[in-house]
Amino acid sequence: MVVKSVIIRPELCVGCMQCMIRCAEAHSESGVLALAVSEAVLAKPRIHIGVGPELRPFPNKCRHCEPAPCQEACMPGAIRSDIAEGLKIVDMARCIGCGMCGMVCPYFAIRYYPAAQVAGHGAVAIKCDGCHERVARGQVPACVEACVTGALAFEDVNRHMNAGVNRLANAALGVTA
Amino acid sequence: MRYVIVGLHAAGRSACAWLRRLRPDASIVGVDPEAMPPYARPLISYVLSGELEPGQLNVEGPDFWDRLGVRVVSERATALDPDKKILTLASGRQEPYDCLLVATGSSPRPAGVQGSAAKEIHYFRTRGHVERILAACRPGGSAAVLGGGLVGFKLTMGLLARGMRVHLLVTSPQPLALNVDERVGAWAAEQLAALPNLALQTCVTAQSMEPEPSGGYRLTLDTGESLTVDLVAAGKGVIPASGWLDGSGLACADGLAVDQRLLTAAPEVYAAGDTAICRDVALGAPRINAIWPLAVEQGRFAAWNMAGQDCPYPGGLAMNSIPLFGRHVVSVGAVNPRLTRGCVSEVAEDRQGRYLKLVFDGSSGRIVGALGLDAAPRLGELTWAVRRGLTRDDIPTHWRRAPLSAAPLAARTEWLAKAAGL
Ligand SMILES: Cc1cc2nc3c(=O)[nH]c(=O)nc-3n(C[C@H](O)[C@H](O)[C@H](O)COP(=O)(O)OP(=O)(O)OC[C@H]3O[C@@H](n4cnc5c(N)ncnc54)[C@H](O)[C@@H]3O)c2cc1C
Ligand code: SF4
Ligand code: SF4
Repeated sequence: MVVKSVIIRPELCVGCMQCMIRCAEAHSESGVLALAVSEAVLAKPRIHIGVGPELRPFPNKCRHCEPAPCQEACMPGAIRSDIAEGLKIVDMARCIGCGMCGMVCPYFAIRYYPAAQVAGHGAVAIKCDGCHERVARGQVPACVEACVTGALAFEDVNRHMNAGVNRLANAALGVTA
Repeated sequence: MRYVIVGLHAAGRSACAWLRRLRPDASIVGVDPEAMPPYARPLISYVLSGELEPGQLNVEGPDFWDRLGVRVVSERATALDPDKKILTLASGRQEPYDCLLVATGSSPRPAGVQGSAAKEIHYFRTRGHVERILAACRPGGSAAVLGGGLVGFKLTMGLLARGMRVHLLVTSPQPLALNVDERVGAWAAEQLAALPNLALQTCVTAQSMEPEPSGGYRLTLDTGESLTVDLVAAGKGVIPASGWLDGSGLACADGLAVDQRLLTAAPEVYAAGDTAICRDVALGAPRINAIWPLAVEQGRFAAWNMAGQDCPYPGGLAMNSIPLFGRHVVSVGAVNPRLTRGCVSEVAEDRQGRYLKLVFDGSSGRIVGALGLDAAPRLGELTWAVRRGLTRDDIPTHWRRAPLSAAPLAARTEWLAKAAGL
């Protein structure tokens, strides 16, 4: 199970969409924004700012579910969990663009676009890959690096969960400290 | 503990993988004449159209079963004795079990055509089927496809891509009648009608098929017309492959009834996938939805229950995603006109012709289905919404108005509370 993951705090999001831009940049051929904008097949973001409850911005991306509905739906086995621990990553070369994964993802985390990595294929499934290559190099995911408000953070999931449980318990017991 | 899994495709493979995770030391025996190397049958349509090479059907290497620690017996099961807990195979060999999963899927529904050549109709379900069709295809030749459902469609598009002239013969008034509404069905028919080399006939049934002395076949239709073609292929739906259980006291021609834990009427005999009749959450009634994601999901739930956990299966529902004429048709739950009588629907449409229809139960307001044509790929959320029993009031107006930019429905915490029964 993955320990560190991108944790979203929608209440801190101001909807600036920097995460979307930096995500697309990180997944472009050149990896550099100034060049990425003129690449033949434009890279697409894997995180999106949607209109959330009370019309507030809501950053939305793949949760890397376990078990993952998208992986179960993928007939050619293109959604893999053996590329990076705890992450569900689309192997674009195997993707046939059938759309079954989008049919079952409860979070609208998958979109379909042509990708430079598989030029000549039709649209393929595009979703968050946890920036596993950046993380392997010791960097944080691109969206987290871009987020200045702290709405996105690369944190230990278990610690985050524990903190949440403590907050809930404190609220239930009326503890304010 | 000795587990026996009968049928090693979507449901059976998923069950084996989960059982191995949950019970690292258990003995798992898999029985399937078609287990090696593991492939994905829906990909045969991509092989027919030339988008994939035959070798790309395989989704795992030949050592898959060894790595998983599953002993595979490449034979057909012919009988089950639930009292003695023994499975009999075609060779007469017997496999005792402690716990067994029936995942034998489905078989093509016979086309119902009479005549001495009817046995030469090509069906479209296995690797062998696509190999035989490819061998019979020739550019410039002619083919008749019987059935305007999803498989009939895939056959038609594949044969056209191979340079054949195709007569698509559909019994219903429009193609894809079971999967889409009248509007999208009419759009599909319009697109088909515009295709060169395709002749679409609706409200027609092929009655008999005879060989022609000069080669090819003569197909006689219920309208009295006849057609001469080089190849006849059928995609008339599927029937559960449960006939081998006749005599076990379990089978019924329509599949295997299961309880919430996917257990059949026999102790320690579970069923999953295209053979299992599970609750359909959209219709609130038992029904087989013969689709891949549900087969894999049911394989997982069956494995959890077979491993001794108590995991009620929440139920399935129809889901289809159909890339069609450069556009994308998606549907979940109840959308076809026959199943949606008394329902209220709401349509969002834009100038580019993107179309999203939500179908609500007329009395409770519960969402029971959705259909999209090039709509934002949000049907997964609607699948979730149908499964969670959300109603029309639960879906915010801004989501319905601008489905491209709205946050996911699941972002609303009050639904998490509702789902958790708080
Ligand atoms: C051309 C085509 C396209 C499709 N496209 C899609 C799609 O786009 N999306 C989607 O969701 N679904 C699609 N499907 C449906 C999908 O393939 C099935 O729902 C899925 O394969 C069901 O899995 P299953 O394991 O229940 O059964 P099956 O796939 O039918 O597998 C059953 C296995 O049991 C074995 N078996 C049968 N009888 C016996 C016996 N007596 N003893 C031992 N073994 C036995 C068979 O050899 C087989 O390997 C498509 C199907 C076809 C044919
Ligand atoms: S794409 Fe959706 S279903 Fe798949 S792992 Fe991500 S959130 Fe889960
Ligand atoms: S679109 Fe690609 S990743 Fe998604 S289910 Fe189909 S093949 Fe798998």
